[in-house]
Amino acid sequence: MGHRKYELYSMDWDLKEELRDCLVAAAPYGGPIALLRNPWRKEKAASVRPVLEIYSASGMPLASLLWKSGPVVSLGWSAEEELLCVQEDGVVLVYGLHGDFRRHFSMGNEVLQNRVLDARIFHTEFGSGVAILTGAHRFTLSANVGDLKLRRMPEVPGLQSAPSCWTTLCQDRVAHILLAVGPDLYLLDHAACSSVTPPGLAPGVSSFLQMAVSFTYRHLALFTDTGYIWMGTASLKEKLCEFNCNIRAPPKQMVWCSRPRSKERAVVVAWERRLMVVGDAPESIQFVLDEDSYLVPELDGVRIFSRSTHEFLHEVPVASEEIFKIASMAPGALLLEAQKEYEKESQKADEYLREIQELGQLTQAVQQCIEAAGHEHRPDMQKSLLRAASFGKCFLDRFPPDSFVRMCQDLRVLNAVRDYHIGIPLTYSQYKQLTIQVLLDRLVLRRLYPLAIQICEYLRLPEVQGVSRILAHWACYKVQQKDVSDEDVARAINQKLGDTPGVSYSDIAARAYGCGRTELAIKLLEYEPRSGEQVPLLLKMKRSKLALSKAIESGDTDLVFTVLLHLKNELNRGDFFMTLRNQPMALSLYRQFCKYQELETLKDLYNQDDNHQELGSFHIRASYAAEERIEGRVAALQTAADAFYKAKNEFAAKATEDQMRLLRLQRRLEDELGGRFLDLSLHDTVTTLILGGHNKRAEQLARDFRIPDKRLWWLKLTALADLEDWEELEKFSKSKKSPIGYLPFVEICMKQHNKYEAKKYTSRVGPEQKVKALLLVGDVAQAADVAIEHRNEAELSLVLSHCTGATDGATADKIQRARAQAQKK
Amino acid sequence: MSPLDRIANVSILKQHEVDKLYKVESKPAVSSSEQLCFLVRPRIKNMRYIANLVNADKLAGRTRKYKVIFSPQKFYACEMVLEEEGIYGDVSCDEWAFSLLPLDVDLLSMELPEFFRDYFLEGDQRWINTVAQALHLLSTLYGPFPNCYGIGRCAKMSYELWRKLEDEEDGETKGRRPEIGHIFLLDRDMDFVTALCSQVVYEGLVDDTFRIKCGSVDFGPEVTSSDKSLKVLLNAEDKVFNEIRNEHFSNVFGFLSQKARNLQAQYDRRRGMDIKQMKNFVSQELKGLKQEHRLLSLHIGACESIMKKKTKQDFQELIKTEHALLEGFNIRESTSYIEEHIDRQVSPIESLRLMCLLSITENGLIPKDYRSLKTQYLQSYGPEHLLTFSNLRRAGLLTEQAPGDTLTAVESKVSKLVTDKAAGKITDAFSSLAKRSNFRAISKKLNLIPRVDGEYDLKVPRDMAYVFSGAYVPLSCRIIEQVLERRSWQGLDEVVRLLNCSELAFTDMTKEDKASSESLRLILVVFLGGCTFSEISALRFLGREKGYRFIFLTTAVTNSARLMEAMSEVKA
Repeated sequence: MGHRKYELYSMDWDLKEELRDCLVAAAPYGGPIALLRNPWRKEKAASVRPVLEIYSASGMPLASLLWKSGPVVSLGWSAEEELLCVQEDGVVLVYGLHGDFRRHFSMGNEVLQNRVLDARIFHTEFGSGVAILTGAHRFTLSANVGDLKLRRMPEVPGLQSAPSCWTTLCQDRVAHILLAVGPDLYLLDHAACSSVTPPGLAPGVSSFLQMAVSFTYRHLALFTDTGYIWMGTASLKEKLCEFNCNIRAPPKQMVWCSRPRSKERAVVVAWERRLMVVGDAPESIQFVLDEDSYLVPELDGVRIFSRSTHEFLHEVPVASEEIFKIASMAPGALLLEAQKEYEKESQKADEYLREIQELGQLTQAVQQCIEAAGHEHRPDMQKSLLRAASFGKCFLDRFPPDSFVRMCQDLRVLNAVRDYHIGIPLTYSQYKQLTIQVLLDRLVLRRLYPLAIQICEYLRLPEVQGVSRILAHWACYKVQQKDVSDEDVARAINQKLGDTPGVSYSDIAARAYGCGRTELAIKLLEYEPRSGEQVPLLLKMKRSKLALSKAIESGDTDLVFTVLLHLKNELNRGDFFMTLRNQPMALSLYRQFCKYQELETLKDLYNQDDNHQELGSFHIRASYAAEERIEGRVAALQTAADAFYKAKNEFAAKATEDQMRLLRLQRRLEDELGGRFLDLSLHDTVTTLILGGHNKRAEQLARDFRIPDKRLWWLKLTALADLEDWEELEKFSKSKKSPIGYLPFVEICMKQHNKYEAKKYTSRVGPEQKVKALLLVGDVAQAADVAIEHRNEAELSLVLSHCTGATDGATADKIQRARAQAQKK
Repeated sequence: MSPLDRIANVSILKQHEVDKLYKVESKPAVSSSEQLCFLVRPRIKNMRYIANLVNADKLAGRTRKYKVIFSPQKFYACEMVLEEEGIYGDVSCDEWAFSLLPLDVDLLSMELPEFFRDYFLEGDQRWINTVAQALHLLSTLYGPFPNCYGIGRCAKMSYELWRKLEDEEDGETKGRRPEIGHIFLLDRDMDFVTALCSQVVYEGLVDDTFRIKCGSVDFGPEVTSSDKSLKVLLNAEDKVFNEIRNEHFSNVFGFLSQKARNLQAQYDRRRGMDIKQMKNFVSQELKGLKQEHRLLSLHIGACESIMKKKTKQDFQELIKTEHALLEGFNIRESTSYIEEHIDRQVSPIESLRLMCLLSITENGLIPKDYRSLKTQYLQSYGPEHLLTFSNLRRAGLLTEQAPGDTLTAVESKVSKLVTDKAAGKITDAFSSLAKRSNFRAISKKLNLIPRVDGEYDLKVPRDMAYVFSGAYVPLSCRIIEQVLERRSWQGLDEVVRLLNCSELAFTDMTKEDKASSESLRLILVVFLGGCTFSEISALRFLGREKGYRFIFLTTAVTNSARLMEAMSEVKA
């Protein structure tokens, strides 16, 4: 079994306490370490408040704060590198990397009553969860603290004491709890508690002392009181291997140590002074621990830190093993050798190279060296392997360069973050699993903005994902620096960010407002190019009037309306109206709303502006829409008329008064004569009267309302023709000289197809219309005579166009002759 | 036909288990369906309708599902109303970002007839965003527009908002080759005159007479010469229509009878055919001929019907009066004509249209006429039109000539307000004063009334004036022509000033000239507030003359009657 251990950092973190006296939590992926001296464990006086300390993986202090809250049972890091501190009363306090308090939540009443006995923080694909064992030996868990849903797990039948050990499992995307009570194992899911037995477990076990789940929840290891270790799948369906270490003392920690996709299975067991790697082999590997140590399981190995060192233990990757195995003849090993000889200017280089080439393994050799370089921690080793790969590449015609280039880039990034000052000891596999985006997030979280930006630029990440995002984060951090003045912060941010694409000034401003810096937020919003984006925050900050002008600037009426309704609730009516008054666009928008939804407000709006004209129109509209009764309508019209007078619109006022008179009159007519008169126009009212034979009333009405003569004549003419009262029509025509001439009489009779009556009037038609009249009654010959008499060319052609075929042949000739004569002259 | 019919007709909807279709109007829909779906414009009136319906169901103890689909977008105000009416929780809301309906090969409509009243009367800018979105859609499809021109407040705002949208989503259209070389945005209130004139080209006349809705017209029994009405799509695919749509009406009849003779000749060919030829004829040509025959008889029917209607009201007289108004002579006679029109109650919309035409061409009515015509109108058509007049005055369509001195002070005050960007559109009583139409002066400057030597041959038009019988070149089209010729507003300062648009005429050209010469021939004209078929015909003519190809984008196709109806107040 090939395992190796190398030093990541020598720690000089100047610990005041022994690790064993502390609650310890180290985040995976080379994350930070939190220590809280546990004064509650021993029955000491709690007079001294404990200190919560946070360090980077290299031991650089990140935060230190005096613990003022209740007794803590367990610490753990979430996937977002937030520190979760589970208190005895079930309250979980959440801190940031720099010891900044974020929030807190409770694990429920049941937990509060029975106290927390033990707690675990675990990670699933949904996020980070918390599992709690209460004093009543019941479990409560939440699979995702970001979206807190508490689940109380079912009871384990007959459980009298705390389980000897327990862990959370994650199967089929659901969190379970596995616990050991004496010789029995129970699996709790949210519905039931079932007893489980690991297949092939050695007999004689009376209790389980320790259990461990692998990083990916795939495997499970159990340590029994007989010093026996069972290793199998987490589903407990299959045994992988077993090992008897003959140590009966309960181990301090047991964690899995395996590489993804490796066939090898191994767990690392730690006692006070001894570390043992056991797997599917008869022999174990043993290390002596010089001092108090703590194990951190990782994706591809185990980190071990103590007061003075921080080491990484892992299974040797295949490529590395091939190359570095003693007397290895693997192509990679030969290539490395060849390159070394080449540097020494030895001819052996050629021999090695030839050997590889003869086997046709040069491509493989280069790949091996590149891969192995990734797994080396020390830059000098990385370099020599990469140099070998590069050397080998020279002898290959077509070796795609990407894998080599990418490895060089990745290693540069890795070496940068592994640096002592940064302290993120990621391995190549972890880095690939984590992705560059998350790594950048973590650098941002550590406020390492310049490094993050350098990495983005180095990897040429698109601005929106890379530099802009980091600058935006930086700006959000910057606004929290309360000792710097608003002006300076705003200027600094704008200088650095400029118009970088993808940076949202409104987001930064929102952050500033979140820190209570309203003025700064407003300053920052000035840099936001999209006025629409400024509005929601301005509203939140109660700068509604500013929001209104920004909304109007954006041209988005919907946004304007949103602000308006805000303002309406925020301001008193008078102020609200005054604001509207200065913003015509908003005003017309609000009027539109009121027209349908709040008629009374509309009236108030006009009133406040002394807009009597619109007020008048408003009341007129009301007289049609709202009121049914005549009295109500007349009253509405009276109000309208008054308003029109105030608006100096005498015409409208008079027209409205006329309308009032007409309405009253129509009502009377309906009462006296029956039939419908209401809402007819004046013209139609008179017409209706004539049609009903009430000529006297009609004339009275015409006089009262001063209907002009012309109209009256048209009106009467049409009405009488409609009645076909030819006698009356003739009488009417002779009553006095027609103000509209007599052609209309001819027209109207012809419209009723009464040629006989029509002809009566042709003689009275004035000379300029005579031809037309004659043509209307079909007297072409006479029309021609008149036209000739008039010597009017237009009339002549008009008549001519009415001459049809044989009947009017003579007339047509006559006209032609007249024309010819006219031309002669 | 409604826009929905053009996209998904009743049978398609039925296939998707739509039980019945109702119109959203004042009548409640009586349906036993478990689900009701409302496809509506985001208007408060519609929300009230929905609320009434849902609340009625609640009272009756009925539960069903309600879905409201807002097109083209949801407005906050609508949600507010749903909430105030207490049904926000009962309905689910959705948006359908539908903004452009292609009505023809060169005509895109937003189908927003309410745009005109909303913007030009109420000062409501809600649709500007929709216009900007539509432009954005076009630019993502056809690449950036290298040359942009526009005139009018709405044009400017839409254009600026669209630019903002482009900037926010930059990269999408960048580097693309432009396919449309020029875009021209024009506000309807730049030219009310053209829209108010009677239309005499065939397509316009059909619209004025029968009302084309969504590119389709309902021909009644008097046209189809049967007892049924017929829905006919009018577009370039109708071969007969396509040949006469842009023709002056006086040519149409002749053209159609010629066509009929040709058709007859083609039919006649089958005499003297042998069996094989006959078989060929029947299988290949007959169907096409029959189709053409059908279309031909429809359009002949339509022509007859138009002639009947138009001569009845003495169409010639009307046109004569319009021309007199356009040319500005015999104003007294025209005024009496309008008065007679009103006295005889010919038609409220027609009378109103003539009054507006008189007002705009004359820079407002003289006070005496203003009063007397209005009085006459109220007596004829009902007192509620007092509100109509107030609307028309606000929109600047029917105004009173004001004495010169007092105006300028107010004018300068208003125009200062108008130029204030944040102030938006002024909608108070002063706004109409700010808009003196100056039609006469503009007409002179742009030579809108062609000098006619002898008869204007309408069969062979020589300029765009042919769409108005050679009497008037549509102002809107002339502006577009002039700007395209100059590739800017240069030299048109005086016209722009007369249009009250000193701050509102813009040109925007991108420097890098990647546009191919072919794309530079392609011009997108955007009419904000609607355009008429006459304007489309005129520009089609201009395109043929100058080698351009015009594409039209309009908020809706309009005509004089639609404009007047939009301004009219009808009793509730």
